[in-house]
Amino acid sequence: MAQERKDLSYEINIDVGGTFTDFYLNDQASGAFLTKTPTTHYDLSVGFMRGIKDLAKSCGLGRRQLLEQTKAVRYCTTVGTNALIERSGPKLGLITTAGFEDTIFLGRARSWADGISVTENKDLARINKPTPLIARDMVVGVRERVDSAGQVVSPLQAEEVLEKLQVLVDRGAMGFVVCLLWSFANPVHEHMIKSIIEEEYPEDYLGSMPVTLSCEVSPKQGEYTRFITTAVNAYIHGVMAEELNALIHDLRSAGYKRPLQLVQNTGGMKKVSRTRAVLTHNAGPVAGLHGAAALGETYGQGNMVFTDMGGTSFDIGVITGGRLKTYDFIQVIDRWRTNIAAIEVKSIGAGGGSIAWLNELMGKALNVGPLSAGSMPGPACYDQGGEEPTVTDADLVLGYLDADNYLGGEMLLDPDLSQEAIRKKIAAPLGLEVAEAAARIRALVDANMGQEAFNEVALKGHDPRNFILFACGGAGPAHACGFAPYLGVKKVLAPFYSPVSGAFGASTVKVQQVWNHSATMKLFRWKDQAYSQDLDAFNRVVEGLKDLALRDLRLEGYSEDRVSFRLELDMRYGMQYNLTKVTSPHLTVRSQEQFKDICDRFTEEYSKVYSPEATYPQGGINVECFYLTATVDQAPAVWTPADLAGPEPPAEAALKPRKAYWRALGGFKETPVHDFHKLLPGNVILGPALVDARHTTFVIEPFWRFTLDRFFNGVLEPA
Amino acid sequence: MPYTRDTEVVQRLKPEAMTQAEQEALAGIDDLDFEIFQHKMNMIALEGKETTMKLGASTGMRWGDVAFGIYTGLGDLAVVATGIWFHAVLGQIPVKFIVKHWLKDETVGVRPGDSYFFNDPFYSGVHAADMGLCVPVFAEGELICFVGANVHTGENGSAEPGGQPIAAKSRYEEGLMVPPIKVGENYTLREDIMTMLGTATRDPRTMVLDIKARLAACRIAERRIQEMVADKGLAFFRGALRKILTTTAKAARKKVSLLHDGIYRQPRFMDIVGNEEKIIKIGICLEKKGDKLKLTFDGVSPMLDAHPQNTFFQGIIGLAMVYFCGWFFYDLPANNALLEALDWEFPARTVVNASGDVPTALAPAIQTCFVHGIFLIGARMTYNLDPERAVASWFSGFGVPYFGGFNQWEEPVADISPELNATGAGARPDMDGVSGAGAFFATMSDCSDVETTEADRPFLYLFRNYFKHSYGAGKYRGGAGVGFGVSIHHVPWLAMGGLGYGSKYPATLGIFGGYAVPPGFIQTVHGSDVKKHLADSDRSLPVNLDQLYGEANPEKGNRALHNITMGIKPFLNGDTFYMPAGGGAGYGDVLERDPQAVMDDLRSGLASRWMAENLYKVAFDPETLVVDLEATKQLRQKAFEERKQRGVPMAEFEETWSKQHPPRDILKYFGGYPHPKPKMDFGLPM
Repeated sequence: MAQERKDLSYEINIDVGGTFTDFYLNDQASGAFLTKTPTTHYDLSVGFMRGIKDLAKSCGLGRRQLLEQTKAVRYCTTVGTNALIERSGPKLGLITTAGFEDTIFLGRARSWADGISVTENKDLARINKPTPLIARDMVVGVRERVDSAGQVVSPLQAEEVLEKLQVLVDRGAMGFVVCLLWSFANPVHEHMIKSIIEEEYPEDYLGSMPVTLSCEVSPKQGEYTRFITTAVNAYIHGVMAEELNALIHDLRSAGYKRPLQLVQNTGGMKKVSRTRAVLTHNAGPVAGLHGAAALGETYGQGNMVFTDMGGTSFDIGVITGGRLKTYDFIQVIDRWRTNIAAIEVKSIGAGGGSIAWLNELMGKALNVGPLSAGSMPGPACYDQGGEEPTVTDADLVLGYLDADNYLGGEMLLDPDLSQEAIRKKIAAPLGLEVAEAAARIRALVDANMGQEAFNEVALKGHDPRNFILFACGGAGPAHACGFAPYLGVKKVLAPFYSPVSGAFGASTVKVQQVWNHSATMKLFRWKDQAYSQDLDAFNRVVEGLKDLALRDLRLEGYSEDRVSFRLELDMRYGMQYNLTKVTSPHLTVRSQEQFKDICDRFTEEYSKVYSPEATYPQGGINVECFYLTATVDQAPAVWTPADLAGPEPPAEAALKPRKAYWRALGGFKETPVHDFHKLLPGNVILGPALVDARHTTFVIEPFWRFTLDRFFNGVLEPA
Repeated sequence: MPYTRDTEVVQRLKPEAMTQAEQEALAGIDDLDFEIFQHKMNMIALEGKETTMKLGASTGMRWGDVAFGIYTGLGDLAVVATGIWFHAVLGQIPVKFIVKHWLKDETVGVRPGDSYFFNDPFYSGVHAADMGLCVPVFAEGELICFVGANVHTGENGSAEPGGQPIAAKSRYEEGLMVPPIKVGENYTLREDIMTMLGTATRDPRTMVLDIKARLAACRIAERRIQEMVADKGLAFFRGALRKILTTTAKAARKKVSLLHDGIYRQPRFMDIVGNEEKIIKIGICLEKKGDKLKLTFDGVSPMLDAHPQNTFFQGIIGLAMVYFCGWFFYDLPANNALLEALDWEFPARTVVNASGDVPTALAPAIQTCFVHGIFLIGARMTYNLDPERAVASWFSGFGVPYFGGFNQWEEPVADISPELNATGAGARPDMDGVSGAGAFFATMSDCSDVETTEADRPFLYLFRNYFKHSYGAGKYRGGAGVGFGVSIHHVPWLAMGGLGYGSKYPATLGIFGGYAVPPGFIQTVHGSDVKKHLADSDRSLPVNLDQLYGEANPEKGNRALHNITMGIKPFLNGDTFYMPAGGGAGYGDVLERDPQAVMDDLRSGLASRWMAENLYKVAFDPETLVVDLEATKQLRQKAFEERKQRGVPMAEFEETWSKQHPPRDILKYFGGYPHPKPKMDFGLPM
């Protein structure tokens, strides 16, 4: 039981998921607590406050006591994403360059394929673009034009802006999004429009309406993604502000005194008041990835594949050299392709709820996913009306899950329903025993996940066999031995916090933000095969970004001496379209020689990822976008290693054995089961075996070995 | 080797006969292992495709006109990652050529570390702008398969920039055409060959970067496959790769068997020959019997001796697969085993079966004209089986500006513009087509951002919006295509032209009563004063194609209208060029369209008041757009009655109709109206 203390010692980290909201509390004195509560979609704050109450109970405190002693609440929220999916945002008006009013609807043509699976986008007769966030009649064009050199070719006229503004107001606009061509290169017209709107609808009037400029939200080349990023931000901004302010009010009323911190998909966190809405999307998985990086540092591991297998999806992230990189990732939010510098965590349709089915046309070929039973109706064994066999049903039939103790006994499973679903839909048509059919479902989903994860690492130019695999998520430890071989990794870490990896990760995130700006600079020219001499142009962009970053962090209360910078550059060979992100060896440049250093770094990276044969420096080398990451110096998360006990698990950790099916051993075998929470660091368990934890099960396949390490994390290795 | 084109190897589009080794290996493959293998092969192909796209430079490469394939050791394409489905059957020909000619040739050979380049359309099937590279994969000392990437690079040093010369009179004016040739050995590209390829074109950087991109992707795939073989064994790999073909063939024939037996005919017409306004015909006949389809022709215009709208027959089969892979067999793997469900016979010396030295640079025009007929047949043929997918066509006529010169960075450019990927999709039985969906033959391609194009192309876009007169109307309308205008910017000049067809006769017809896509054309203004109007912030300047032709358009200069196919011309700084990308075709009767949907189109600018009143017969308040349902009902009833009154008995119709005749001067290349016949075969060599 924790003592009541006057200091602020607790940190509460929360990650909202589709089915559960995860909580992780850490305290240097009393350790860590984790819990999960059902996500209350009607009002996320209900589940949020309920979880805090559960945590308080775990600490032996009342909710107020806990919150009064909490120094930070960090939140990975899905409020914004939900607003997008539910289309609950405000009616917005979009002001754009005349002649380009259809840009967000055209979506570079293939926007219909954004955010849907490969299977769906192969069915060409049935494709559709997403319902727009802004209706076409809420888009107006104004005569103005800036060209690719940033020169004004057609000046903006104020009277036209006023006229078009009135059109939007008359049609019910509740906010304005201003997106003009080349505004990132010369924002003069976007700023002018904002001034006009603010003059017309001053802040002290009830009719005041928010104005969002693309040159501020997303100063990057490529109008579709810039416009969409700006529109998405504007669309979810109000909804998020409203919900988060209500939550802050609830927290303050309950005793919390500090600001609520939001985790961002760029890998940092900021106060609610200093966070751009669009940066909160997918924050949970990014936080999970961050947590893996932080823990990896403790282990002295820099290269890791992070995975999180939940109910509906399998998330994959890559950490190299101990760092999270953005690569050339395009963040698709719902169905919208954005250009935010988010950390990439790829999500594929494979999870406990993935449905197994037979492709009749292909000779009854077995498939798993991408369709998912989700949480409603969920797997057949949930007894909520689901009749399709899922991966969770397979796991239950195979004896890996404890029907009476699923999620710590909070949910009862019905194995008969799983049996029946698999028998009817898979086993009988294939002439297989139910258990063998279940084993095949499991083997196939494991292979798909492993092979997809392999590709993710490989596409970034790395060999996954040199990586450590993190197996997180409620279903991750149960499937890790199955999908790890497809990556060729030699070691799997299934951490104690795996069911709440996003919440754990939030506890490791630092105050950090990425500032970016598009600018084409030909560092090495094809024309005369010479390095650029324009050092000022390069330095001007960097200094501009630094000013923005410092101004922002000062407002958050951090002094300049605590801020460090990292410059990354999107680079390419002349005429190439796609970009390779390179960490610049110089923050600013003082000589042509330093341009050469940057070009050499690019060629080195490029060569490493794509082979030396692919390099072509003679074709010229361009910088297209600058990314400045500003990080506030903070103490890293530290975990104290526990003393090691012997390899033999204590007797009290033994639970009642279960019959589990092991393909490699030819069928069902009586299998030892251990209580994770009673194992001691240093304990070793050889497969086949099962380890039940409150929110997950570790499935140790034959010829695998499980070790509980000094940090209470499970380590799985081929025996 | 007779040093001429090999007419035998191009016939081998269907899978090669199974070898004894494959047969034995196939027998022992477990179903689960096979499913996992298939997934892995698709992952490898996907990685290859994405790597190729990331590293290349051409417009095609930038916007996804890319295919990455894994071929058996005999050259059959087993796995492909692409949205360009003709590669599913065409990519294999160069590989089969290499197996046939170079594998045992001492002066060339096929060894680990080799790489082969090719762009001769006789082998690649479409046109010389499509270029490919493949490498052999060896394991345990044996050739086990090939991997390769095909991309539309475009510029190939032909008489006009961009690789598709309209004025070509023989293949010798069509630029570089390379049969499969070794360009690299010992994992290294040969500098002499690269120099030759680079200097043979206007844009060496794009040529070289595209080749390097393909090669880098191939090398990655090669490694992955070797790792898989090391893990699973050579026999398993061979057998499983073959099993992909056998299971696909079986599934394709099964799916075909579900269709009603019957003979489906569709005449197709194209309204341009070279740059002349002449009409040619492709009479298509598709017979479905049991589990097979047979493609034959019923009257095709003769091969054009001195104009590039000819195609090799293999290009026709390739384009047929665009429909089959994307629409009919959308739920099956894409590989050349699908062809086990299709037989064909081609009339010799016709525009669909070129031979000799005739030019073929605009083969894509003939191919798309043909495949539009397959879409129309497909909708009728599949209606009983899968009515949701019996849909109207995406735009089929092309509409591509091409250009050459120097950009604002004083670097050479020679390419096509990406708006060919901004056409509309066809209407469906239950909904409209998707506007600005892509290109039907390259559905995963995109049309670029204006800013990205302007960044290194010397254009200032004046507008790029959906064009309300670009699609076919119907109960459900086609998706709109975009209309766009550009002014030459930053540079003193640029040469530009246009490619496509459908300016006189619609390129894309409607289905089940839906309307065709309206004809489109190009407008150019030399000596344009558009930049002065821009500088004056002149609000009367058009912001879409519709306004371009209005009286209020203030732009002055030497205005000219052209067919979509327009010969290349110099454009000076400030001159303007306007063009539409077509929309999709309509589905069903316009009089059955929901009046509210018509108002939605009016509101979003996708329909005009004229269309609402005269085409859809909707009565509404033009201010509020509130529909008068009763008045609409009456208007539509009246329109039905008028149709009936216009009707005549079939015999009477036939008599009148059969007497009609097109103007004789447009039949110059038709080959005998109404039933064209091929030319005499003089037995000329290929």
